[in-house]
Amino acid sequence: MKPAPFKYYAPTTAEEALAHLAEHGYDAKVLAGGQSLIPTMNFRLAQPSVLVDLNHVSELFYIKPGGDGGVLVGAMTRESQVEHDPLIAERAPLVFEAMPHIAHPQIRNRGTFGGCIAHADPAAELPAVSVALDARLRIRSQAGERWVSADEFFVGFFTTVIEPDELLVEIALPPMAPRSGCSFQEVARRHGDYALVGAAASVALDHQGRCQRVRLVFLSVGEGPVEAGRAADLLQGQFPTPEAIRAAAETAASADVDPGSDIHASADYRRHLVKILARQSLTQAFDRAKGIGG
Amino acid sequence: MAIGAIGKSHPRIDAVGKVTGATRYPGDQNYDDELWMKILFARRPHARILSVDISQAESLPGVVAVLTAKDVPVNEYGLQIPDQPVLCGVVSGKQGADIVRFVGDQVALIIAESEKIAAQARDLIHVEYEDLPVLTDPRQAMAPASHCLHPHAPENVADRHRIVKGDVDSAWANCDVIIEGEYHTPFQEHAYLQPEAGSAYLDEQGRITVRVAGQWAWEDQQQIAHALDLPPERVRVVYDAIGGAFGGREDMSVQIVLALAVMRLAERGIQRPVKIIWTREESIIGHCKRHPMVIKSKWGATRDGKLVAAEVDLVSDAGAYMYTSNKVLGNATLTCTGPYEFPNLRVDTVAVYTNNPPGGAFRGFGAPQGHFAAEMQMNKLAEALGMSPVAVRLKNILDDEKLLSVGTPLPGGVSLKQVVEETAHAAGWQTTARPAGRSKPPALKGRGFAAGFKNVGFSFGYQENSWAKVALEGTAQIEQATLFIAGADVGQGHHTAMLQIAAEALDLSASRIALVVSDTAVTQSSGSASASRLTFLAGNAVMGAAERALACWREEERPAVAEYTYLAPQTMPIADVEGQPSTPNFAYGYVAQSVEVEVDTETGAIHVIRVVSADDVGRAINPQQVIGQIEGAVVQAQGYAMLENFQVEDGYILTPHLSTYLIPGVLDIPDQLDSIIVQHPDPRGPYGVRGMAEMPYLPLTPALIAAVHDATGVWFDDFPLTPERVLRGLGKI
Ligand SMILES: Cc1cc2nc3c(=O)[nH]c(=O)nc-3n(C[C@H](O)[C@H](O)[C@H](O)COP(=O)(O)OP(=O)(O)OC[C@H]3O[C@@H](n4cnc5c(N)ncnc54)[C@H](O)[C@@H]3O)c2cc1C
Repeated sequence: MKPAPFKYYAPTTAEEALAHLAEHGYDAKVLAGGQSLIPTMNFRLAQPSVLVDLNHVSELFYIKPGGDGGVLVGAMTRESQVEHDPLIAERAPLVFEAMPHIAHPQIRNRGTFGGCIAHADPAAELPAVSVALDARLRIRSQAGERWVSADEFFVGFFTTVIEPDELLVEIALPPMAPRSGCSFQEVARRHGDYALVGAAASVALDHQGRCQRVRLVFLSVGEGPVEAGRAADLLQGQFPTPEAIRAAAETAASADVDPGSDIHASADYRRHLVKILARQSLTQAFDRAKGIGG
Repeated sequence: MAIGAIGKSHPRIDAVGKVTGATRYPGDQNYDDELWMKILFARRPHARILSVDISQAESLPGVVAVLTAKDVPVNEYGLQIPDQPVLCGVVSGKQGADIVRFVGDQVALIIAESEKIAAQARDLIHVEYEDLPVLTDPRQAMAPASHCLHPHAPENVADRHRIVKGDVDSAWANCDVIIEGEYHTPFQEHAYLQPEAGSAYLDEQGRITVRVAGQWAWEDQQQIAHALDLPPERVRVVYDAIGGAFGGREDMSVQIVLALAVMRLAERGIQRPVKIIWTREESIIGHCKRHPMVIKSKWGATRDGKLVAAEVDLVSDAGAYMYTSNKVLGNATLTCTGPYEFPNLRVDTVAVYTNNPPGGAFRGFGAPQGHFAAEMQMNKLAEALGMSPVAVRLKNILDDEKLLSVGTPLPGGVSLKQVVEETAHAAGWQTTARPAGRSKPPALKGRGFAAGFKNVGFSFGYQENSWAKVALEGTAQIEQATLFIAGADVGQGHHTAMLQIAAEALDLSASRIALVVSDTAVTQSSGSASASRLTFLAGNAVMGAAERALACWREEERPAVAEYTYLAPQTMPIADVEGQPSTPNFAYGYVAQSVEVEVDTETGAIHVIRVVSADDVGRAINPQQVIGQIEGAVVQAQGYAMLENFQVEDGYILTPHLSTYLIPGVLDIPDQLDSIIVQHPDPRGPYGVRGMAEMPYLPLTPALIAAVHDATGVWFDDFPLTPERVLRGLGKI
C-alpha cells in the first residue's frame, strides 16, 4: 500500500523544522529514520497531512562527550552509528549492549536514536534503557527548550510528553558512577524481532558493597517501559547475594509486572521470562559493579 | 563439447534476471488498459448463503462488473475431485454451492478501474449468511452425529486406507519392548515470497489467456476449461516467473476467476486485461496448508532391537475440500511405519473433511507427518533398549529385498543403509557418545538422528507422464536447438537442470539451446512441479525427445523436430483387500540426518548448532542446486519443528500475516549444515537421477526433537517447539 497524500518539507535547521511544526501542529509529523512512521503511513494507520523531514538537519546528528562524563546524542544519530561508537561503548555500556537487539542491521542503518525513543513502542529497547540509565531528554519548540527525565517522558502506549510543536533534539546519557554496572537481556522468537520480554538493569554499590541504586526496567510487558520498583526496593541497602537477587527477581515477576497474552506468548510465559531475565540481568550488573566478569 | 554438461554447477539461467529485478513475476505484468479484480472471501468457516446483494457495489463509479456464483458455467473444481465451488452462492448450477465451508471460500469477484475501487466495491456487497455448526476436530467430524459437509463423503471421510501384514494381534506376545505414543503435527503455511497474482486477456487468436504462477500449466488449463465449460484449446495458460510454490500453487487460486472475468467481460463487449494481486493475508487465507495429523503408534521389538509389530492409527485433517488430501494420505500411510521392515503390522489411516483451511500439497505430501511419528517411535525404542539410534535403525532398515508395509520391496536400488552410515560417520555417532563441549546448565546440548524415504511422483496408481519437444536447426552441423518443456521453474532451478540434460543428450553447448517453457499454446503436459518428480520425469522426457530429434537429424530432416512423452512404470493404489501386496510407486529417494542443538532450559529457546544431511539423489545434475534444495528443506523443516505456529480457532485463522506467522530468517538457521550428496543411481532415472527436493525435509523434525530429548530428557510428541512449549514440557511453567 501507499500512504495517503501529504505535504513534504525538508528543512536544514532545527529552527526551520520547528517553524513548520508551529504552523501545522497536529497535522504534521516529523520524519526521522522512517522505519516505524513509513510503515504506519503505508498501512494508513497514520495519515499526517504534513511531513517534516529531519534527515537534512545536520545539527541533530552527533555523539559527543558530555561535560559530566556522560554522552550527548543528537536525536537524528542513526542507530547503527550508536551501535559502533567507541564513546558509547565506554561511557554508556548499557546502550552499547542493547543496540544489536534492535531489529536488523538494515533497519538500524536508517532508524535513529531519537526516533526510537520518541516513537515509544512498549517493545522497544531504547525507551527501557533510557529509563534504566536516568537519561535526560532535551525537547525544543519555537518558544524554547525543556529537559525531561526519561521516567517522566513516557506516558503510555506510543505516547510521550512531546507536544505537536516540539522536537526531541538530544538525549543526555549520564556518566557511570563508581562501582556501578549494567546489563541488558532479552528473549525474542527470532533474531531481530521485537522482544517477548527484555530487561535493562543498572546498579551501583556503596563502599561496603551494598546496593545503593537499582534500576530494573522491562520492555514488552506493559504500555511502555515498566520499572520494577518493588524489586528494586527489596535490594536497596542490601548485599546483592544470589538469594537477594533471586528474591528480587521473584518480586519483579509477581508484583511489578502484569504482562498480557498475545499470539506469540502467554502471560504465564512472559512472567516466567521476567523472573529469569531479572535474575540474569541483575546478577550480571552486580558482577560488573564489583568488577567481576565482562 | 557438451558431454559432461551434467554433474556441474551450471549457473542458474534465471539468476541474473532475479538478482537485477528484470524478471517479471505475474504481478509485474502491466497493461495500459488493465482492469483490477478483488475477491470477496467468505471469511466465515461454515455458513449457508441466503442472499448476495451486489447492487450497491455495481453502482459504485469505476466498477465494471461484479460476478457471483450464477456467472460460473460449471461451478466446481479440484485437482483430485471437483468438490469445491468456484464461487459460493445461492443461484448456481452446482448443488451445495450455497454452502461456505472455510474462511477462504470465494463469494464474489469485483472488476473495476483500480484496485482501490474494487476493494471499496467488495466492501459494499451484502451477503446474508446463516451460520452452521463448525467442525474443527476431524475425530469429531467422523462421528455419526456430525453434520455432513459433502454429499459424496458420509461421516466426512475424504479417503481412507488399511494395510495389514502378518498377524499383529498375536505378535505382541513376541515383543520384549513396546513403545506407544500419540503424535500431533501442526498446520504449516507455505509462505512463498510471491503471493498469488495473475493477469488474463484474450490473445490474438481469441483464446482466454491466463498468466499466473502455478505448478502445472496444463492442469490449470484443464480446470479452467472445465469450470468455464469451454474446450481446453480455447484457454491458454502461460507461466510468468514463479516466486516459490512448495505445493501451495498446486491447486487453483486466481486462475479460474481471472479467466471467468475475461470471458464474462468479453460477452459484454469489454476486451481489457484483468489483473489481481493477493495481499499476504489473502494468500494465507486463500490457499491450502500442510495437514495437521494425529497419529497413534504402538510398536514392539525384541530385546536385540528387531522390530516385530506395529499398529498405527492416523487421522488427517483434510479441511474443507479434497485438494490433494488423498495423495497426502497415501504417503502418510506408507511412511508412518518408517523406512523399516515389520513382519506384522496394521495401519489405519483416514482423511476427514472439516471446516478448517484445506490441507493440501506441501513439500513431502504427508511424509513429514508419517516420519515424525515413525522416527519418534524409533528413537524412543533406541532409548528403551539402550541402543544407539543408528544401530537400531541399521538392524531394521529397508534394503533391496526387505518388504515395505504394502508387501513389496522398494524399487530402483535402495541406499538407506548408506545414507544412515554416511550421516552417522560425518556427525561422529560411531565414535563419541555425545557431542563434546561446553554443555553447562542452563544451556544443555544434545543430538538426535532420523532417517527417511519418499516416493518420486504422485503415483499410487496415477500414470506418471511428462512431455518434451526438441527442435534442431543447422545444415551440416547442429547450430541451434530449441527445447520445449512445460515443467514449472518454481525457484528450484528446473529450467537450468533441463538445459543441462538437453546439452548432455544432444552433445551441444548449453549456450546453443533456447528454452520455450510453460505456455499451453506451444507446450503439452510435463506434469506437476511437485512430489520430487520433475527432474526424474521431465529429464527422461528431454532425453527421449533429444534422442528422437537426433535420429531425425541423422535422417537429414531440417529442422529436425521430435516430441516424446515419457511414461513411468505403472503403479497401483494401496490394495483395498487386506494382505494383498501392492506397488504404489516406481521410484524413491533416501535421506538421513543428524541434528545438534543447545537448549536454554531457563528460557526454553533452542539453538540449532549443526545439521548433517546425507541425501541419495541418484545423480546430481547440478550439485549446487541439490545443495540449495537440501539447505532450503532443512531450514523450512526447522521452521516447522520449532518456529512456525499456525493457529486456527473455530475455523478462523489467527495468524494471517508474516508478523504473526513467523518463518525463519537468515539469522535463525543452523550454525552449520553439512550436505552430503550420495549418488546411488536409480536405473530408470535420467543418468541415474532420483527425486530429491522433499527428502531432506523429512527427518529434520524428529531428529531435532530427539536432540532436545537428548539434552533435556523430555520427549515432545507435539510441536512446534516454541520456547514456551519447551518450558511447559520441562515443567517450568
Ligand atoms: C522490521 C522492523 C523491526 C524492528 N524491530 C525493532 C526492535 O526490535 N526494537 C526496536 O526498538 N525497534 C525496532 N524497530 C523500529 C526501529 O528501531 C525504528 O527505527 C524506530 O523505532 C523509529 O525510529 P525512526 O528513526 O525510524 O523513526 P520514524 O519512523 O521516522 O519516526 C517514528 C515516530 O517518532 C516521531 N519522531 C521521530 N523523531 C522525532 C523527534 N526527533 N522528535 C519528535 N518526534 C520524533 C515520528 O514523528 C514518528 O511518529 C523495527 C522496525 C522494523 C521496520
